[in-house]
Amino acid sequence: PGSRRPEHRRETARFWRENRAEAALRERCVVPPEEYECFLRTLERALAEHERREEERIRQMAADIREAERRQRETVQAALQKYCSFFLNCAQLQTEPKLCAGPSACSPPAGPGRDTSYGAEQPGPSGIQTGPDLAWMESGQALTFIGHQETEGNVHTGAKPPWLTEEEDETEQQIGPSYEEFLKQKEKQKLKKLPAERVGANFDHTSQTGDSWLPSFGRVWNHGRRWQSR
Amino acid sequence: MSFLLPKLTSKKEVDQAIKSVAEKVLVLRFGRDSDAVCLQLDDILAKTAHDLSKMAVIYLVDVNKVPVYTQYFDISYIPSTVFFFNGQHMKVDYGSPDHTKFVGSFKTKQDFIDLIEVIYRGAMRGKLIVRSPIDPNNIPKYDLLYQGI
Repeated sequence: PGSRRPEHRRETARFWRENRAEAALRERCVVPPEEYECFLRTLERALAEHERREEERIRQMAADIREAERRQRETVQAALQKYCSFFLNCAQLQTEPKLCAGPSACSPPAGPGRDTSYGAEQPGPSGIQTGPDLAWMESGQALTFIGHQETEGNVHTGAKPPWLTEEEDETEQQIGPSYEEFLKQKEKQKLKKLPAERVGANFDHTSQTGDSWLPSFGRVWNHGRRWQSR
Repeated sequence: MSFLLPKLTSKKEVDQAIKSVAEKVLVLRFGRDSDAVCLQLDDILAKTAHDLSKMAVIYLVDVNKVPVYTQYFDISYIPSTVFFFNGQHMKVDYGSPDHTKFVGSFKTKQDFIDLIEVIYRGAMRGKLIVRSPIDPNNIPKYDLLYQGI
């Protein structure tokens, strides 16, 4: 503390000179060492107190999240069990698989009695909208989950599309035009009538692409400017 | 009497379809023939295929037979339907988080027909992504699982 005092005074004086502040104010701004010590001590105490409070807060948040997750898991389990036993009941009542399952497959217990009248002959699914729209979404659309697709790259990351990887060798090298070629020529005449600005109008079917060629896909998850997605 | 939809059973066949189908929307249904929701969707596809034959070509693809594509398109739920035009993957904004494919089945045949028309017209005008005409209430809801988050 002793060594600090003269330096503090010197620096204050210099600051005053450089910024041409009012000299009278300077004495008031010099901090006595005792006050400084006191400040240091209170600072340490306050800091420790703050850290303790923050830790407590975070710990509480973690406990809340764990609790919420536990409750979620239990709810899902309970619902799943109900759904499973329910589904088993429905499965027992159906005698043959139908093309258009629709909402009638798992409608409430009053429903399955009608199932036998809806045979495989029923026209499109629009003919079977007997239940509420919600039923179509929930029971009819229980999508089969086939697992995470863990790979280095996919369509979202802009990886090379599989149809552009040349691995297998091409068969049949014919020489000269064939009947198919003639038909293709006729098709090309029709092509000229199509709008020139359509997607892929300039698709060069004959060009070969090297190994490192990549189309520009991606930008699905919003990295980069919008124009870059083309 | 439904139109039998052609199937693609190898990567090579899928490659061939993508590269050779010209001036029409290529519809690839990824799924399994025996799956319930796939059956619903396949029925809609089969019944509309003939009417849409001027605008679209439809193929069924078994996810087990083409793991390369299942992984490339990050297919976690089946059925998932992907659209192409002249070798270019077409994206559609359905109001769901994933624009690269349609997950689940359509509620009506008309929904699918409308979607194909919108994709076809968009492609003709040079658009790589179009907005789906289907009512968002009729789009199946699913949880998009983010990896590693």
